[in-house]
Amino acid sequence: MTENKASCPQYYFAGIDIGSTMTKAVIVNGGVVCSVIGATGPEQRRLAGDVMREALDKAGLGFDDISYLVATGYGRINVPFADRQITEISCHAKGVSSLFPQARTIIDIGGQDVKGIKINAQGKPLDFVMNDKCAAGTGRFLEVIAGTLGLALGDLGKTAAESNNPARISSLCTVFAAQEVASRLSEGTSLGDLVAGIHHSVAERILRTVSRLSLEREVVVTGGGAKNGHLVKTLGDKLGYELLVPPEPLATGAIGAALLGKDRFMNALPGLHSTPAGQLPARPRNWGEVTFFS
Amino acid sequence: MQYAAGIDIGACFSKAVVVSNSRILSRHIIPSGGSYELAAGMVMEAALKKAELSRDDLAYVVATGGGATNVSFADKTSSDILCQGRAVSLLHPSVRTIVDVGDLSSKVSRIDQNGKTSAFLLSGKCAGGSARILQVIARVLQVKIGEIGPLSLTSRNPVKFNTQCAVFAETEAVSRIAEGLAKEDLLAGIHLALASQLYTLAERIGVEQDCALIGGGAVDIGLVKAIEEIAEHEFTVPAEPQIMAAYGAAILAGENII
Repeated sequence: MTENKASCPQYYFAGIDIGSTMTKAVIVNGGVVCSVIGATGPEQRRLAGDVMREALDKAGLGFDDISYLVATGYGRINVPFADRQITEISCHAKGVSSLFPQARTIIDIGGQDVKGIKINAQGKPLDFVMNDKCAAGTGRFLEVIAGTLGLALGDLGKTAAESNNPARISSLCTVFAAQEVASRLSEGTSLGDLVAGIHHSVAERILRTVSRLSLEREVVVTGGGAKNGHLVKTLGDKLGYELLVPPEPLATGAIGAALLGKDRFMNALPGLHSTPAGQLPARPRNWGEVTFFS
Repeated sequence: MQYAAGIDIGACFSKAVVVSNSRILSRHIIPSGGSYELAAGMVMEAALKKAELSRDDLAYVVATGGGATNVSFADKTSSDILCQGRAVSLLHPSVRTIVDVGDLSSKVSRIDQNGKTSAFLLSGKCAGGSARILQVIARVLQVKIGEIGPLSLTSRNPVKFNTQCAVFAETEAVSRIAEGLAKEDLLAGIHLALASQLYTLAERIGVEQDCALIGGGAVDIGLVKAIEEIAEHEFTVPAEPQIMAAYGAAILAGENII
């Protein structure tokens, strides 16, 4: 990484991944300089740019210091301050590959969708599948159940790990599963058994989605779902091998976005070579609202 | 005089109908609550009271619906689809296709001129394809469930929802409200989204006119108009669309007496 840093010390690249639930911003030059993660939330959608601004502040940089800014994720359609939009499939592939060169499959468990992505050794996506039609199997399912049971999302995995007799949850639909969990709890099923049952149900649903690809090792789990250790373990138990998790599983899309921006910029650089770096044409950027629905 | 009863234990509501020679003497609807068995007893008693009868006056009872097996006093259980077919056919003999919008799932069926079911299809147990999505959205918009139909009809710009999942639709409704969109436009949008799912399901078994819309969803005039708009033809809605399965069960019960 140090060597890389030396190769392009004067350039900074930013990636912003506006997911349905969380917004992630990353700044890289040779390696990752800093990353910031904030909620996307219904109110904050208009303020997605604040996360980018925070990342710049954290890195001690101004907007003009960023040579190229790539937006990705569900909210990428209109990011007024981005140079380019790239799909999250390409960005996740690139980001994960930069962290785990041996990765060949990504399972991304987001707030509103689940994706399976097959990648090659160069970090290029080869194939992908996705479920964004139904909340079952996504982070939202866990969120709704946590809310029903009065648990914090972050405590779900821990609660489930206490059970050695997971309850069988018959409803696939999030709305009906929440109702089922509430009534089973009042009938006396233990909280741990219910939450463990929910993890099995989510894991099965996720695997049903991604197994339309032939899963090839190493398999890396990303997204908010990867923060739930018990979910990752349940997935691994069902697959029969251990899954890899990045240090910050939410940031891989933003890292990939920044790195793809860097590639594009560096490839174009020879053409710009006559202009000293400090005098590259300034890009007009503006902090506008990010719109979600076309 | 011989009396018979039909009882339909649904996921959301329990319905009982008391008949004499297929003529409705009384009907009653209560929420199913936590215990189907308890609900069955209560709704039966209430319907009998309205008809000024007692349990002993009933010669035969047929139970139907998801909770049918919990009706300990029933002489027989029957499928709700068969029951609905009989009831709708008796009331509206020209109907050939029935769309039933329940709380847990939706069902479409085809019946012949005798009210016999010839084909049927169930939606998955998905809140987005059942009447439950209407409750979810009504709650988010803070509109009473009985008011969503009339309000929806005032919309001139139905919102196109990007999802069919009730959970995601709820989130989308929250954002759209924050963006300043009108409640009636959101309601009309959700009615169209559900109606389009229902009609797609119906088309899979083949739509033959006349069509009837029944179940709790049929009480909602917004959903009725939406499915008519999508189908481009009228739907028959029985006067009491919620009790069709219970009434059909009562008709079957009456036939068992003879």
